[in-house]
Amino acid sequence: MKTNVRQIVLHRLKLKDTWVICFVLGLVMMNYPFISIFNKSSLPFGIPLLYLYLLIGWVFSIFIVYLFSRAASKDTDTKGHM
Amino acid sequence: MLDVNWVWGTALLYIAFLFLVAYYADQRQKAGRSITANAWVYALSIAVYATSWTFYGSVGKAATTGIDFLPVYLGPTLTAFSWWFLLKKMVRISKENNITSIADFISSRYGSSQWLGGIITVITLMGVMPYIALQLKAISTSFTIITGYHDFHVGLMDRIYIPSPHPGLFTAVFLAVFSVLFGARHLISTERHDGLVAAIALESVVKLFAMLTVGLCITYFAFNGMGDIFQRVHQKDPQLLARLTTLGDRGDNSYASMFSILTLSMGAVMLLPRQFQIMVLENAHESHLNSASWRFPAYMFLMNLFVMPIALAGVLLNGNNVGADYFVLTLPMQLGYPWLALVAFLGGFSASAGMVMVESIAVSTMLLNHVLLPVVIRLKPRAWFPLLLINLKRFGIVLVILLGYLYQSVVGESYMLANMGLISFSAAIQFAPALIGGLYWPRGNKAGAIVGLLAGFAVWFYTLLMPSLLRAGGWQGDFLLNGPFGIALLRPQELFGLSGLDPYTHTLFWSMFLNIGAYLSLSILLGQGEKEREQVNRFVRVFTPESATPHWETKRLSKPVTIVQFVNLMTKFIGEQQAAAAITDYLGDREIDSKGGVSEFELPNLKRFVEKTLAGSLGGAAAGAVVESFLSDIGSRMEPVYDIFSTVRTSRDQSREALFVRLRASEIMNRSLELDIIMGDLLELLLREFKLDLAVIRLLNEESVLQVRCYRGVGGERLTAEDRILEIDTHVGEAFLGCRTEFFNDTAFITKPIAKEIFRREGIKSFAHIPIASEGSQPVGILSVFSRSIVGLFTEQFVELLESLAGQLAQAVRIVEEREARERERRQKEAALLENARVTRDLELAKQIQLSLLPEHPPTLPGVRIASRCVPAAHVGGDYYDFFQRGEEVLDLVMADVSGHSVGAALIMVETRSVLRAQITEPGSASDLLKLLNELLYDDLTGAELFITMFCARYDSSTGMLRYANAGHTRPLLFRAGAPTELDAEGLILGVERGVVFEEQRIALQSGDLLFIYTDGIIEAENGEGELFGIPRLCALLGAMLELEPEVVIEKVLSEVSAYAWPNPLQDDISMVVMKVA
Repeated sequence: MKTNVRQIVLHRLKLKDTWVICFVLGLVMMNYPFISIFNKSSLPFGIPLLYLYLLIGWVFSIFIVYLFSRAASKDTDTKGHM
Repeated sequence: MLDVNWVWGTALLYIAFLFLVAYYADQRQKAGRSITANAWVYALSIAVYATSWTFYGSVGKAATTGIDFLPVYLGPTLTAFSWWFLLKKMVRISKENNITSIADFISSRYGSSQWLGGIITVITLMGVMPYIALQLKAISTSFTIITGYHDFHVGLMDRIYIPSPHPGLFTAVFLAVFSVLFGARHLISTERHDGLVAAIALESVVKLFAMLTVGLCITYFAFNGMGDIFQRVHQKDPQLLARLTTLGDRGDNSYASMFSILTLSMGAVMLLPRQFQIMVLENAHESHLNSASWRFPAYMFLMNLFVMPIALAGVLLNGNNVGADYFVLTLPMQLGYPWLALVAFLGGFSASAGMVMVESIAVSTMLLNHVLLPVVIRLKPRAWFPLLLINLKRFGIVLVILLGYLYQSVVGESYMLANMGLISFSAAIQFAPALIGGLYWPRGNKAGAIVGLLAGFAVWFYTLLMPSLLRAGGWQGDFLLNGPFGIALLRPQELFGLSGLDPYTHTLFWSMFLNIGAYLSLSILLGQGEKEREQVNRFVRVFTPESATPHWETKRLSKPVTIVQFVNLMTKFIGEQQAAAAITDYLGDREIDSKGGVSEFELPNLKRFVEKTLAGSLGGAAAGAVVESFLSDIGSRMEPVYDIFSTVRTSRDQSREALFVRLRASEIMNRSLELDIIMGDLLELLLREFKLDLAVIRLLNEESVLQVRCYRGVGGERLTAEDRILEIDTHVGEAFLGCRTEFFNDTAFITKPIAKEIFRREGIKSFAHIPIASEGSQPVGILSVFSRSIVGLFTEQFVELLESLAGQLAQAVRIVEEREARERERRQKEAALLENARVTRDLELAKQIQLSLLPEHPPTLPGVRIASRCVPAAHVGGDYYDFFQRGEEVLDLVMADVSGHSVGAALIMVETRSVLRAQITEPGSASDLLKLLNELLYDDLTGAELFITMFCARYDSSTGMLRYANAGHTRPLLFRAGAPTELDAEGLILGVERGVVFEEQRIALQSGDLLFIYTDGIIEAENGEGELFGIPRLCALLGAMLELEPEVVIEKVLSEVSAYAWPNPLQDDISMVVMKVA
């Protein structure tokens, strides 16, 4: 079951569509109005909220791209997904 | 302040180290063991994106406007999501088309337009000038800050009073030298620059290390971590913190600017010339994109992790944000860490140097290919062209850097670092519509791209660059505030009354609005040129597998060009060695014909290859122009082939018409067995289905002449009436001997004089001679087709169709020929049988005649009983015996054997008989008779190369005396009282020598004696084992039959010999005479 889920995820990550969706999602999350949620002068953990949000979001997206590249390098045959 | 000599020393050491690394990488590349073809190095080299703007400017921006420094690096992270398909596509296209720069990339997509390439180059040059200026400024300013000198001060210079150079100029010169050395080694821009990439990757490591070190030291040694810094700022000035860490409503730090900077940086990371150079051209393997897509964002993240803390720390320490651009450098010195400042200086230097080197090389390539080359290629190519071109490229590098230096000298002091960078970004984003559209939108066309780019560039220049120059010059006043001629609507920074935006958002909006608008609308309104359509396939559909596209050539060269001509052309631009290497690579195992050219169908391919090879050095647009002008010089050009099959192709390689014609041809072949009907129908089919005017079939006849067997169509007396002998001088002969289709798509370029004359008179425009041959066998004839109206009729698929029809015809011809051959053979056999029967009959007749020449029955003589028999082995034989009675009591007896048993032997036997009969009347002994016969027959025997053995005897029954002579004949056997004796008499065979003397013997026969005279056919009869019958066996046989009648003896001997030889027939004639004395 676990490997099954893993394979499904890997397969989805190989699709060009998934990449594009993530790209658009990232664009939305970094722009108005979404970003206005975090545009407040509060200091959780002593760090400004917006700054924290952007840094964490950044790390998260790097992690996602890392997963993508792992999935893509597993199978160099991407003809069907171009 | 650091001691200036220290700074100098460290900087020089670092520069020397860079040179060393670059040199080592270059050597490794030459040895074929690249150290930069590696995913880590690739990711690090992409970090050339982080320039001194990142290194110094980010902190400056964070301290002044706040959090909007981040989107510049968040944008590239977002684009990383698109790398796996977008960047990969760009890399693939570039490698397949030998792209040399982003200008080349975009202009190639739009039909290798020189105009487009030129425009992009100009935009780039103006766009990157501020950016290069920024780098040079950063180096000189940081040097000044760290040493306190305003020039590149060397302690030594104080004493010798040499005017010290301006630090920016010194840096510019150093960077130019480095770039020329490692970036312009060859003219071929598509080859990777290992030395350069290695240096860039090293610099990326150094700048990240420096940034992290400075950040860690300030955050964790000077302060107690990030939280501590934020807390202190919050306590000191909560409003400042709020302003710097949130987005405002208007101006620099707003949602709008967040969006535009995000967009600009996303464009910049893909579109800046240096990014394109590193990411696309210096990419060693597509799989490196994969890991780089997360390593590069991770690098950016680490690079920016401490930017905010450093900026806030600077504000805390200094109380304000004055000089915030160089907090990275000044804070360590304020905090008393001079070594840290030195590390920061090296980091900043690395960031600047890397950017300037790559950018200058990329831009100089564009400059050479799209601005200088269009001029150069109009000149007549000379031997020193390759040298000129490479030096022009080097000159371009120096020029680009010096222009940057000039800009920073003029504008330098008036702008913040980050702002100068954003001007460049705004210029680079203008390429986005043409590039993205070009990759994914097949309709995008040249007109749209050019107008869009020009519009976007104009907006950028008017709303961003010009104001920056005006402000730097202090002329801002009226023009900026009130617009040109006081027209408020045209105010550069509030164009058409759009106000409230920061300058970059303002420019981005208007430039993209006009750029995309023009690109889309013109692409939809106007069509694409032929060349563009061709390129669309290579760009938009680059990942479409080759096999899915039809492989038929749709272009042809109107006049054939040889390989040598193409090589000469390439040599003029890229040098002999490169040209030779390229063509060898291309030809590989391709077939080259006798004239040193490739097949006509291969030519367009070869032309494209030459273009592509040249493109690697000259850029696509210039290469296209070079090849085009070369072709027009020799009077050739690319033209579309005549599409003989107008309908949509039903399958990849066969049109519906081709299938139809094949089907009809099969029907024709099957309908009739008459070759003439088949040929006639086939030619009519060809004339009807294709635009042919004349078709002729010649078949090879017995005299090895190609004889006209059938023709259809009008005119062409000489073409239809004349047979052709097999000569290489005629096209027909060449096609036949070479067993290869000979065709000319344009008879104007024919070289054979006779053919040329005929075609001129007949008005033939194109023709083809197709050998009529089945697979793998010799041709049996030639099918010729002629057209008077169409040049370029013979396309690859048409020739293939004709060849297949000729193959079918060859089958028909072969079948007919085989049938005829069988018929002929049958008739010959019949005739032979008939002839044989006649000869047999004649021989049978001869045999009867010959046998009738022998005595019909033996003579009767008192006291003796005689029996005789002759059995010829063949129809006629050479054995002969005769009896001549002289009076009542004397009998002459002759037994002869002419050698052989042919007709010749038979004739000699007849002659012998005649001579004998004539001479026998003469009195004389047996030996005299032989002597006489020898004399008479000698000439005839030697002439016929035959000889005769003969036994001659005279028996006198009154005395019982037998006188005999022997001319080499088998000795007769005399049985007396049951014991055999051989009658011997010396004498040579007749016909061997003249004047032979024969011995005469005599013997008196007694009652009961049995004389057996015979020819050697009896004793030489062989049985199955090859054993002879022999005299002993004969003696034994005869010995047992002495009491029997002579007739019976003969019968017995005959049957015994036959039985002995069985199952073989007797090989020789057998004759015998048995004489029994009563």
